[in-house]
Amino acid sequence: MAAKKSTLKVILLGDGGVGKSSLMNRYVTNKFDAHLFHTIGVEFLNKELTVDGCKVTLQIWDTAGQERFRSLRTPFYRGSDCCLLTFSVDDNQSFLNLNNWKKEFIYYADIKEPEKFPFVVLGNKVDVTERQVSLEDARQWCQENGDYPYYETSAKDATNVAVAFEEAVHRVLAMDDKTDYLIPTDTVKLHRKPRSANICCS
Amino acid sequence: MAADSVLKVIFELDGVFIHPGADEGGTDQDLLLSGSLRILEKDAEVLVEYRPLEDSVDPSNMLCAGQDSSSVVEWAQSPRDKSQSHQLLETQQSYETEWDMVNAVSFRKKPCANGEGSLSHSQGRSRWAFSVSVSDLRSITVKDEGWTFLILHLKEPSAPLPALHFHQGGSREFLDSLRRFSLLTESPGDQTCLLVSTPNKVLSQSFENLLDDNNFGLVHRFQRDPYVATLGGLSKVTNYIFDALRGAEEQQQRPPEEVADLLGEVIPGLEINQQEEPGFEVITRIDLGARPQVSRTEPLTADDWSKHLDAEGRLQGVEELRNKIFKGGLCHAVRKEAWKFLLGYFPWSSMSEERKSLQRAKTDEYFRMKLQWKSVSEEQERRNSRLRDYRSLIEKDVNRTDRTNRFYEGLNNPSLTLLHDILMTYCMYDFDLGYVQGMSDLLSPILFVMENEVDAFWCFVAFMDQMHQNFEEQMQGMKTQLLQLSTLLRLLDLAFWNYLESQESGYLYFCFRWLLIRFKRELNFQDVLRLWEVMWTGLPCQNFHLLVCCAILDSEKQKIMEENYGFNEILKHINELSMKLDIEEILQKAEGIFLQIRSCKDLPHSVSTILGFTDCHGSAPTKPGSAAALRPTRQDVCSNGLCRENRPPNSCRAEFTS
Ligand SMILES: Nc1nc2c(ncn2[C@@H]2O[C@H](COP(=O)(O)OP(=O)(O)O)[C@@H](O)[C@H]2O)c(=O)[nH]1
Ligand SMILES: [Mg+2]
Repeated sequence: MAAKKSTLKVILLGDGGVGKSSLMNRYVTNKFDAHLFHTIGVEFLNKELTVDGCKVTLQIWDTAGQERFRSLRTPFYRGSDCCLLTFSVDDNQSFLNLNNWKKEFIYYADIKEPEKFPFVVLGNKVDVTERQVSLEDARQWCQENGDYPYYETSAKDATNVAVAFEEAVHRVLAMDDKTDYLIPTDTVKLHRKPRSANICCS
Repeated sequence: MAADSVLKVIFELDGVFIHPGADEGGTDQDLLLSGSLRILEKDAEVLVEYRPLEDSVDPSNMLCAGQDSSSVVEWAQSPRDKSQSHQLLETQQSYETEWDMVNAVSFRKKPCANGEGSLSHSQGRSRWAFSVSVSDLRSITVKDEGWTFLILHLKEPSAPLPALHFHQGGSREFLDSLRRFSLLTESPGDQTCLLVSTPNKVLSQSFENLLDDNNFGLVHRFQRDPYVATLGGLSKVTNYIFDALRGAEEQQQRPPEEVADLLGEVIPGLEINQQEEPGFEVITRIDLGARPQVSRTEPLTADDWSKHLDAEGRLQGVEELRNKIFKGGLCHAVRKEAWKFLLGYFPWSSMSEERKSLQRAKTDEYFRMKLQWKSVSEEQERRNSRLRDYRSLIEKDVNRTDRTNRFYEGLNNPSLTLLHDILMTYCMYDFDLGYVQGMSDLLSPILFVMENEVDAFWCFVAFMDQMHQNFEEQMQGMKTQLLQLSTLLRLLDLAFWNYLESQESGYLYFCFRWLLIRFKRELNFQDVLRLWEVMWTGLPCQNFHLLVCCAILDSEKQKIMEENYGFNEILKHINELSMKLDIEEILQKAEGIFLQIRSCKDLPHSVSTILGFTDCHGSAPTKPGSAAALRPTRQDVCSNGLCRENRPPNSCRAEFTS
């Protein structure tokens, strides 16, 4: 029997300019393009992974952050397995807005049990010297909001990027272990064979 | 279902005025009556109702509002006086650096000419109230005199209804709401006249009930057209079989379907009334003839251009010139001059002296607006979150726009400062809209060509006049265009459209970026310049850019269908076409499609409307050279076919006042 394929949908949310597109590109192509355009509309990239010997396709969705585009962005939240809440450590406002992003996601993705949904928080641009958000503040926010894993990343010099995305994958697979967290798209589980232990391989 | 015999307010707008004096042909133009306009649904009937305000307002105290301070006109004045009051205001403004001018609607007291206020008791008022069923409407006249007013005409002859004056805006919203229950089409002979036709009432009724049920997925499909929904359903079945044959390793997942349903909610589906008859598709499928081969020509040279200029610098043979530009584009050297005409910054009929004085006036105006944001102190900005947000977004986006282009590359490139300053000034020019992502993409090629801050600004303003609706709060322009494109695609290639529909992609969301910024991200920079100048000729028809979309889709459909792409794959595939497209090939194909549609005898009305074919169809295929005859008049119709209300009076298409 051929190896079972499974697709995980991960979505990057956060203020415009915090580096969502750069993080996605760094992770998928391992490049940092300082001339990247700002995102218009909705894009996604796939990355093939092997987790515990199993093949997983990570589908990473990236959107434009401006309020005006909300109605055309939020439909794509549906069916997400994990949400990467992103801010930039040199922009305090983007940190303060994490809460709004989380709320928007839970509402539009129609998450039934938000407490159980896997969020991962990324503080990007750690290579920049003038920080506006301290490590402690970020950690505290994560702890108070549901004990989310927190990573300080740099898309520019690749710090922690792969680690953060892989954490997202692990979170999702771990959720499957605990079974039935009810995101509305239960059929997607059909071909993502529940347990991470037996997801794979022949 | 609960909607039966319950009165439902579909639309409501206060501050709609009637001018009883003027309507009666009387000389007393000062009388005006404020009231509320509603669209009601009552016992399966849709009514338009107007009621003057009951509690009487002394007409001598009536206030009238302009959209922004620069358009404040005491509208009781005759139109001839307007220019004067503008001038007056402009001098005033130069002493004001108050920048948040659009936000604050300015009010002026109307001079009291008739102290009696003869309509101040409600008896007098109620005789102006009316209520008519939408199905009794024959047409609506839409006129603009600095504000919009509408006149409703009934099918049955009767006493005329009073004109409704939208001094505080809202006419477009009203018409949009009306479109939910009726088809409004421009009358062939008269652009100011919208013909009203109502679809089967029972159908629209049950469709409303569905909406009440919140059953969106179903509504979405039903809303489009029950007929197509069935067809789409059928092709879905076919695809299932197809899947089964392929070995169903790529079964449809639910998430894309849900995403699609939600999108369908945001982009309301093709409405029933967009099609006159259910047989529409069958007819068009039969009748669309072969697509003619089209050739393109060399770009217009500086020599060619100067041959069209007379001694006074007036352009001769404008139609021919425009045709040449449509067929071949412009050599780069001509662009700086020609774009100003194409965009409408310079009138085609102007002499060079007139253009010089126009530029002088526009330079003053630009710097006055620039000074407005330049002179905002840090303290002030701290208290103005909208300005702050605009600025921060502009700063971020300027750094992410065309940075590989020589003109914008490197740190501290002065062109970046220009991009920034022009966008900030545009916020002052149109503070309601402000800055929306995508606008930097529209400005960048213009600044690149103009190499001049002031000219680039006014050309950008002119381009934004066409693109404005794309960026507005409700993104109505985007929704309209996606629907129009869907209508065209169904005519051109029903099989492909059905395939897309079966993959939950029938509303063509994946064309979002194409439409929002006119292919700016899809083509390399030089090709964007070519495409835009071709589009700005307004040839060969209205909404030509939608045919450009069709041309690209036509080239991709084989791949999409053969690979059996689903919702996600289609989106990805289209996104990844970026920078791989050949502009000349696309333009050839798009013009070919135009000729093909043009020669179709039984063109559905919806398609003619989208493309602005106002004469009767069935004429012989138009020769490319004579395409000019079809051009809609430019100043009335934006390139998306929609008229913009309340165009700022100092729009660069204004006449010379010098
Ligand atoms: N120094 C630094 N700059 C970054 C990093 N990630 C992104 N940027 C820059 O920040 C800006 C915004 O990045 P982008 O990926 O477009 O942000 P998005 O709007 O969230 O997608 C760009 O100019 C990037 O070059 C990072 O890790 N370090
Ligand atoms: Mg981005």
